[in-house]
Amino acid sequence: MFEETIVAVATPPGEGGIGVIRISGPQAQAIGERILRHPSGKAITTWPERKVRLGVVLSSEQKIIDEAIFFFFRAPRSYTGEDVLEIQGHGGQKNLELILSAAMAAGARPAEPGEFTKRAFLNGRIDLAQAEAVIDLITAQTDLAHQAAQEQLSGRLSTYLRQCEERLLAVLAQIEAALDYPEDEIPDLDREEAGRTIHDVAEDLRTLAVQAEKGRILREAATVVLAGKPNVGKSSLLNRLLGEERAIVTPIPGTTRDFVAEISNLQGLPVRLVDTAGLRETSDPLEQEGVRRAWRWVERAELILVVLDAAAGLSAEEERLIEDVRGKKRMFIILNKSDLPPRLTVAGLPEKFSGLPVLTVSAFSGEGLEDLETKIREELVGKDFGRGHPVIVTSLRHKEALERAVRYLQNVTAGLRDGLSEDLLTIDLRAALEALGEITGRTVSDEVINAIFSRFCVGK
Amino acid sequence: MAQTKTYDVIVVGAGHAGCEAAYATAKMGFRTLLLTLNFSNIAFMPCNPSVGGPGKGHLVREVDALGGLIGRVTDLTHLQMRSLNTQKGPAVRALRAQVDKRRYQEIMLSIMEKEPLISLRQGEIVDLQQSKGTAASWRLQLSTGIILEAPVVILAAGTFLRGTVHIGLTTFPSGPQGQHPSISLPEKLAEMGVRFRRFKTGTSARLRRRSLNFEAMKEQPGEETPHGFSFWIPWKPRLQASCWLTYTNERTHEIIRKNLHLAPMYCGAIKGVGTRYCPAIEGKVVNFPDRPRHQVFIEPESAGTDEVYVAGLSSSLPEEIQEEFIRTVPGLEKAEIVRPGYAIEYDVVAAEQLTPYLQLKEFPGFFCAGQINGTSGYEEAAAQGIMAGINAGLYLKGKKPFLPRRDEAYIGVLLDDLITKELDEPYRIMTSFAEFRLSLRQENADLRLAEYGYRYGLLSEAEYEHFLAKKERIQQIQTTLEKTAFDPRSAAGRKVTEQTGITLQQRISLAELLQKPEVSYKMLQEVYAELPPANDEARVVENQIKYQGYLAREAKMAERLRKMEEKQIPPGFDYNEVPNLSTAAREKLTRIAPLTLGQAGRISGVGPADLSALLIWLEARMKR
Repeated sequence: MFEETIVAVATPPGEGGIGVIRISGPQAQAIGERILRHPSGKAITTWPERKVRLGVVLSSEQKIIDEAIFFFFRAPRSYTGEDVLEIQGHGGQKNLELILSAAMAAGARPAEPGEFTKRAFLNGRIDLAQAEAVIDLITAQTDLAHQAAQEQLSGRLSTYLRQCEERLLAVLAQIEAALDYPEDEIPDLDREEAGRTIHDVAEDLRTLAVQAEKGRILREAATVVLAGKPNVGKSSLLNRLLGEERAIVTPIPGTTRDFVAEISNLQGLPVRLVDTAGLRETSDPLEQEGVRRAWRWVERAELILVVLDAAAGLSAEEERLIEDVRGKKRMFIILNKSDLPPRLTVAGLPEKFSGLPVLTVSAFSGEGLEDLETKIREELVGKDFGRGHPVIVTSLRHKEALERAVRYLQNVTAGLRDGLSEDLLTIDLRAALEALGEITGRTVSDEVINAIFSRFCVGK
Repeated sequence: MAQTKTYDVIVVGAGHAGCEAAYATAKMGFRTLLLTLNFSNIAFMPCNPSVGGPGKGHLVREVDALGGLIGRVTDLTHLQMRSLNTQKGPAVRALRAQVDKRRYQEIMLSIMEKEPLISLRQGEIVDLQQSKGTAASWRLQLSTGIILEAPVVILAAGTFLRGTVHIGLTTFPSGPQGQHPSISLPEKLAEMGVRFRRFKTGTSARLRRRSLNFEAMKEQPGEETPHGFSFWIPWKPRLQASCWLTYTNERTHEIIRKNLHLAPMYCGAIKGVGTRYCPAIEGKVVNFPDRPRHQVFIEPESAGTDEVYVAGLSSSLPEEIQEEFIRTVPGLEKAEIVRPGYAIEYDVVAAEQLTPYLQLKEFPGFFCAGQINGTSGYEEAAAQGIMAGINAGLYLKGKKPFLPRRDEAYIGVLLDDLITKELDEPYRIMTSFAEFRLSLRQENADLRLAEYGYRYGLLSEAEYEHFLAKKERIQQIQTTLEKTAFDPRSAAGRKVTEQTGITLQQRISLAELLQKPEVSYKMLQEVYAELPPANDEARVVENQIKYQGYLAREAKMAERLRKMEEKQIPPGFDYNEVPNLSTAAREKLTRIAPLTLGQAGRISGVGPADLSALLIWLEARMKR
């Protein structure tokens, strides 16, 4: 009945133990085949119904996002009456959004409020009484959405996007006016100028979409992982940054067997600090598990602090660690224990690591810590965050719409450059405006007609 | 006892909508009476002597593809033909004709006269009743006492209903160009319960050709276009008459500004709603004060008269002011006005009373078509005329009505907009209204619609066979392009490489080659002997191949739309039953009563949440 496949997080937001992603629609299995693998890495080819299975979730770049269990329900024996794939990943908003993004990249679209239940009803899975409850639900949720939209209407995001829309509408109206009134005096489209306008808007929207990531960080905390050999002082550093005794600090290497994650307020920015088990080769099975988990945290971190013991020098193992992490993740090299006579200095680091940011601190004395906090903050959200860009997008749906608009606008700039005819240019230009309209609530067709007649004197 | 004459269909009004409607019902086998206030004014063009252009030209081709008349008659009576937007892309290319408006009337009259099932009558309706009884029937009384009866009435009364003309502060009841208005009919309709709105339109003065100095203007000659509007008659380009371009200036604008207190639109005399689509010169001067000049086109009205039309100077200022400002325009310094420009206010049927099949919801068998529905333009009128005709015929046959979708025809866009948009000014079709613009090209109108024309009996067997043969030839071109390999080493291939600089390693078909922007069908046709000439048929194929990516996108969008259109809302559905509709949506849905969920969604003020609530409620209702 519905051709589109929808996806949403089915568990309430927050740091739960597990989070459920639900995918419903004809593409559910195909999407599963694209984003799920056996833990061994093999493709999943069979989809038995209602069987609990273990797998890993892949991002669109084929990177492992999470380990998860999943269930497949074949239509009509599912909640919605359609093919449904449920993925239970580790809770945590960031993780779930990564899975959501992967499902969207594989062809699902974000579900509207109440849409699963709506499909369930329309496919005959729930009765009228339940349906009425659904209508209430939809209304309630859209009222909230409406309220949010109202707030945005007076808010900066909306004002900002409307300015973008106006710039696009000016180009569109000029094209459309000339198409519909070929004999009126409408200036020829200056393709270069139009190209610049479209490009500028696309850049602004792209920046906004990138900012969305920062908005998320602001809302949900960025993950910063402390990695390094045992006993270089990771736990002490963590405690310093947290301002409390959280991690167990002992002089015995390998004390932190599991990981420690705490939310800290770094100069107003929420940061999830993770102290991992030392990343070293070990034969202790328990410690091995810790090491494995440490690497998983590295995978999902926004920033890695590779902590070195400045008093001890650089080992081959640590060199390998830096090489493993660099290129994959943003990282700082931290030379700890600056209070002790140094055997390792910034200048003493191998030539190949020049260009990597290096900070010298002492977790013991607190020296260099404020500088470290500032640098972390700048790295995560930029120097002028909160001052520079006027608006922040926090909704994944908005971010997705912005990214779509940017793609369409890129088509337009390419088309302008390649001499694509004007009637075809309007297709992507309108599509971009429609994508923005999903956020601002404006209808393109009405806007463009108004823009034509307010800007151009046409008609005989 | 007055004499009673019975028909299957009575068409009231013999303008561009009325003639198409009568022709359609007659072709469908129904005895049709074409009734008008004055038969001398059949298919009269009270404004520009011009047909077509972007959107409008598309409509003409679509009406023609269905078997209608406007395309044929335009082809037979054109004074000039031009192809517009040739450089702007495949979707918006459009023909535009200047027509001999007198010849147009003669040809249209002769077509009506030759049609065996059409009766013609001149007369004014003084009474209108819906006769009670088993078979719903309409009973019309003429001022002469004659009674006319038919189960179907198609009202195509243009701007005649309670027409009021304004020229300066002078106001008098009138139809267009001095014709008798219709006064009793709108009163009877109002008594019956039909609700009207007041709209306003206008036209410019007609001048005497010999009083103009063409030396001071720029000539706009026509061109030899490779085809006309009609798919069904052989194209014979006629003598190309020229139009002439000149401009207003600051002096013109000054005179207009100085006299705005005498302009009925600005001094409050006119209450009807005017149009942005073809504004009067007063409006242009007021709304665009920075423009130093506006275009003025001199267009020939007919080979049989010295009168010319002045496009761009529509005005309802007093006649002496019109003369004064006209004479400031280069070339018009000594212009003699034959007929002054004027504004006309008239009754239009409030659109929420109509189904998209143009039937009044409350009155079975009563259809409305053309300007009376709030549109502007001969083409828009003709399109509604043929649609009202076809649907009246289907109604009489007890068959499902016909409504092309928005992705199928501009006609579909027009009818859908008419009922969902709640017009606040006369509606003129624009290509910008068509979200499937690339699919609705002028050259593929017959491929989109001829099947319907044949199915409903408007196209003859011979015309249908001609169409099938054309379709076959188009398929042939497609196949040839797909089957012929492009070999860069062959003589033909080398020529293509020379012209385009394309070098290819792997062998591809000509169809694939044609997808490249630097390759055109014409180029291929010149070097590949097996390809037929680059005519309209080849253009269909070329466009399908070149724009297949965009067309596929439109098709996907159309598919989504179709799903919504398939979800019907039962007639008389009570929106009060549905909880959770927003107040605005409930009010609008109740008033407009859309037939499908798709239409409901296009009504402004009906949001996604309203649609969801409605969808769920409707499904629930069906299950009960």
